[in-house]
Amino acid sequence: MDIFVQLIYSGIALGMIYAVVAFGYQLTFSTSATLNFGQGEALMLGSMVGLTLSNLGINYWLIIPLVCVFGFLQGTVVEYLGVRPAIKIKSEFGWIMSTIALGIIFRNFAENIWGRSTFRFPGPFEDDPIKLFGANILPMEILVVLGAVSMMLLVEIFNRKSIYGKAVVATANDRDAAGLMGINTGLVITFSYALSSLTASFAGVLISPLTLAGSGAGGALGLKAFAVAIVGGLSSGLGIVVGGIILGVSETLTGFYVSTGYKDVPSLIILLIVLSFKPAGLFGKTTIKKV
Amino acid sequence: MIRKTNKFVLAVCVLFASIIASTSFAQTIKIGVDGPFTGGSSSMGVSMRDGVRLAAKEINAAGGVLGKKLELIERDDEAKNERGVEIAQELINKEKIVAVVGFINTGVALASHRFYQDAKIPVINNVATGTALTKGPSFPFKDAKDVFVFRTSARDEIQSPMIVNEAITVRGFKKVAILADSTNYGQLGQADLIKALAAKNITPVTTEKFNVGDTDMTAQVLKAKSAGAEAILTYAIGPELAQIANAMAKVGWKVPLIGSWTLSMANFIDSAGKNGEGAIMPQTFIQAPTTPKRKAFIEAYLKEFKPKNDRIDSPVSAAQGYDSVYLLAAAIKQANSLEGDKIRLALEDLKTPVVGVVKTYNKPFTKDDHDAITDKDPVMGIVKNARVVAAKGQK
Repeated sequence: MDIFVQLIYSGIALGMIYAVVAFGYQLTFSTSATLNFGQGEALMLGSMVGLTLSNLGINYWLIIPLVCVFGFLQGTVVEYLGVRPAIKIKSEFGWIMSTIALGIIFRNFAENIWGRSTFRFPGPFEDDPIKLFGANILPMEILVVLGAVSMMLLVEIFNRKSIYGKAVVATANDRDAAGLMGINTGLVITFSYALSSLTASFAGVLISPLTLAGSGAGGALGLKAFAVAIVGGLSSGLGIVVGGIILGVSETLTGFYVSTGYKDVPSLIILLIVLSFKPAGLFGKTTIKKV
Repeated sequence: MIRKTNKFVLAVCVLFASIIASTSFAQTIKIGVDGPFTGGSSSMGVSMRDGVRLAAKEINAAGGVLGKKLELIERDDEAKNERGVEIAQELINKEKIVAVVGFINTGVALASHRFYQDAKIPVINNVATGTALTKGPSFPFKDAKDVFVFRTSARDEIQSPMIVNEAITVRGFKKVAILADSTNYGQLGQADLIKALAAKNITPVTTEKFNVGDTDMTAQVLKAKSAGAEAILTYAIGPELAQIANAMAKVGWKVPLIGSWTLSMANFIDSAGKNGEGAIMPQTFIQAPTTPKRKAFIEAYLKEFKPKNDRIDSPVSAAQGYDSVYLLAAAIKQANSLEGDKIRLALEDLKTPVVGVVKTYNKPFTKDDHDAITDKDPVMGIVKNARVVAAKGQK
């Protein structure tokens, strides 16, 4: 029983790591129906910038807002260089290539600046685990879960309560109509990219004490998070959390009860099942496209 | 017309000058140095390179070899097999090297050695440990008349019995779990470990694997724990080893971590922090001044390269790299020639002992045995206060 609880804890912590990355995909998809495939790299940049600041002796809690500012700017750059031109000429797939290309460029920059080693990212807590209902959990894992949930809540509150948020929601619902109502939809899309990279950078600082930091860290996480976004549904914040937990828990449970060699298989099977029966994701809204 | 003649004369002059420069008046002996100087294995590659640089500098300061200075041609293989092949072709055909030292990753070494073998250029492999590089049924040149590949590192065949011996005989454990990564390195090492355990009539209680880049090892560690393992034997590299140590701390379970020499990598020791304390691994060299030669080497290395906290990132790689250059220099001197075949013959029959950091090499190679390190040479090291020191009961 203890082992089961332990596996669930680890699965949830792992799932929330995926979810915070996946959340960034959701932010841009909802406003512009485009994705930043460099999301994993945005996360990596956030964690490497955070590590640099940390080496300068800056406190972990102070690093978070600084890295968020960096992420905001980085997202703006991605949107200006990669996505805006593609949307302007109404290219269906141009943004896919350009966001991937920008991701590779960012990774190369990071490799040249920080090298390709992995580094320890000092967290704000001691590494000693806490006992909770018969199993151990690290304080840092609790912080990841709390940080991820509060980040999503903040974004939801912003979207529902503030006038700027309403502009984002309006753009998400119908970009053309929102434009006719006087909303600067271009600016809203830029903002959503900035926000998505901000969340990715924040996620980088949040998870790196657990996952280690390195310029190659973005790739694998970005891909897992993409699976989470597909399973949960690209248009639902709640879906991302649930999707993340499903994938994380299935990974740790399979690793223990079946074989560690097959731990990635069930999550991919879930992905295939969801795609065949509910292509918009478990919590996604099916959009009907009239031709 | 006059102008044309001038140009022609000039061209001829340049041509002659370049021929002269490249052949008859070569003032240096070009030695290739191949290793990953960036990436996950870079702590080994850079330490090896620095060891090589230090040896070359000392030899040059003492007048060089055959009256010529050693010139190092360093190339970063990025731990990629295809880069190793490109570098081999460049070093052989363009740089016209006399010999090559280096190679950290077994895969890169396997891919590159073929070219040097074909070009009859001696290779001293100073870090990669895959048994197949010099021996065994899958050794690629086992049917060749003359083999040009030599080695100054402890091959896996030696390490696995040492790991098993430490766990079973020295510490008296009966139940051990194996955790290995899914690369060639991990899986071949795991097979060697199982073989070595079988020789002591022991089957591991569980054998788990993980991918490079995995961030959560809870499932693997819990499986080992619930199977009742008294120790974990590992075959993997730094970052993932650190994740194993961290996961063990998380589930509140502490058993000895005993594994291949990669447990001495700086990126394991640093990333695992206090969770990595007590990890045990075979080492050919420990950063401790136990002989005058070792003392001199450590002092010179720290002075020259100033590593952080006076800790050599990978002391084993540095020492083996350093020794490989001295062995090569001794062979060139004995051969009194820069011809690959003559250097090979000299290496196979070194008349004078070479005092190295790892040991004093007394006839280290023969025609049939190209491994300088035997199962008597490595000792067990243990991580203590973020450094590797000799384990208890070691000389």
